[in-house]
Amino acid sequence: MPQFFLNKRLIILLVSIIVLVALIGFSLRERSKLSWPEQFIKDTTGWAQSLVSKPTHFVTGFFENLQDLQNTYGENKELKARLEKLVSLESQVQELNKDNKDLRDILGEKKTLRDFKPLPATVIGRNPDRWHEMIIIDKGNLNGIEKNMAVVTASGLIGKVKSVTKFSSTVQLLSAMDPKNRISAVIQGEKEVYGFVQGFDDKQKLLLVKSIPSGAKIEKGQKVITSGLGGVFPQGLMIGKVVDVKPDQYGLNQAAYVKPGADFYDINNVIVIKRLMTQPDKKAISNGKEEEL
Amino acid sequence: MRKFLLPLLFLFLFILESLFVQYLPKKVFGFERILVPHFLIIAILFLTIFVGKKQGIIYAAIFGLLFDIVYVEIIGIYFFLYPFIAYLINKLMQIMQANIIIVFLATLLGIALLEIGVYEMNSLIHVTTLDFLSFINLRLYPTLILNAVFIIIMGYPLKRLFEKHAEALRAE
Repeated sequence: MPQFFLNKRLIILLVSIIVLVALIGFSLRERSKLSWPEQFIKDTTGWAQSLVSKPTHFVTGFFENLQDLQNTYGENKELKARLEKLVSLESQVQELNKDNKDLRDILGEKKTLRDFKPLPATVIGRNPDRWHEMIIIDKGNLNGIEKNMAVVTASGLIGKVKSVTKFSSTVQLLSAMDPKNRISAVIQGEKEVYGFVQGFDDKQKLLLVKSIPSGAKIEKGQKVITSGLGGVFPQGLMIGKVVDVKPDQYGLNQAAYVKPGADFYDINNVIVIKRLMTQPDKKAISNGKEEEL
Repeated sequence: MRKFLLPLLFLFLFILESLFVQYLPKKVFGFERILVPHFLIIAILFLTIFVGKKQGIIYAAIFGLLFDIVYVEIIGIYFFLYPFIAYLINKLMQIMQANIIIVFLATLLGIALLEIGVYEMNSLIHVTTLDFLSFINLRLYPTLILNAVFIIIMGYPLKRLFEKHAEALRAE
């Protein structure tokens, strides 16, 4: 028995397992901020990463441009055809916008859930182990990025900001499996249906929208956008299109499988969305008293 | 110069992994498989085999910790597994001789152990709900093939580099 305890390797192994569990427990905690050594290391590596990734962007961008040149002619034809439609659409949009603004002025409500300020950023890294789907972008605290902001590409929502350091921040993609990652969404149709984006099907590469009331009628091809009701995301960011609807585990709700609009792979440039409408103060909600105006 | 060569090489591989994944398209050769580059652990295992156990484990711990902080944001997983696998492979290589084919197989074994270890830990903390069979089909096989290709290409230069480094260490 004493031989057993004297075994140095075993003790090292046991101690390291204890340390491991403690460290994992520490980092899994709901943290509003990273600790300063982590921030320091992330900023330093972020700098090194952008040193390497900026030239790579340039080179790959050059080759992509060459590829684009090859099918310019066909694309041009098609785009010209679309352009005419676009002109009429644009005038319509302008009219509607003006109408909307006038009506809002009458109502006296200036801000909407839809308003946001875009902050462009470049991707400088991505988690290589691909369990935790995360990308690292080159804008941080100093550029006005905060935790939980929405991140989009041209074709739709891709995720939210998970953690921020001074010069870089980490974005958790929608394809990450995180039970805490819930986004309030609307399925657009004749009648709007609300649900939560919650989870990702790894095999089919589809997003899961859960908590849809069982009576609601949903069809394939309907668009899913953010609802803006979660408090952090603005309204109207494109998420994807419905592919399939199933009753969920207990038959009380429905779950929709949604094909994401954005490609979660090969992301180079993203836009971080800063919502302009202020978040409701937590105190104001919990007190139950309304402010007198 | 020689002093900084190894840390720089490892740092480069560390960043290369993330760049590789960033530019990887959704479908590789028409298959939707998850390819995970493990260039860093390959270099660490080569270092352990050709230079020495102590150095290997120190580099494994440092870069494991760095990997956890920068990419995973859960400290502990790679910080524990990198040195552990370096240690196991070192033990294994004490029985075998450092033939290039044996080294190739041992490194692949190390990568497989790493992937399975990370998978088990992740399913323990509910980061993934993938079942074991689809984990093997979706991730493990494609990952092993990718890394085998990397070892075939980079194995010999890495071996030469580390052998030279070991000689220089002995000369000091």
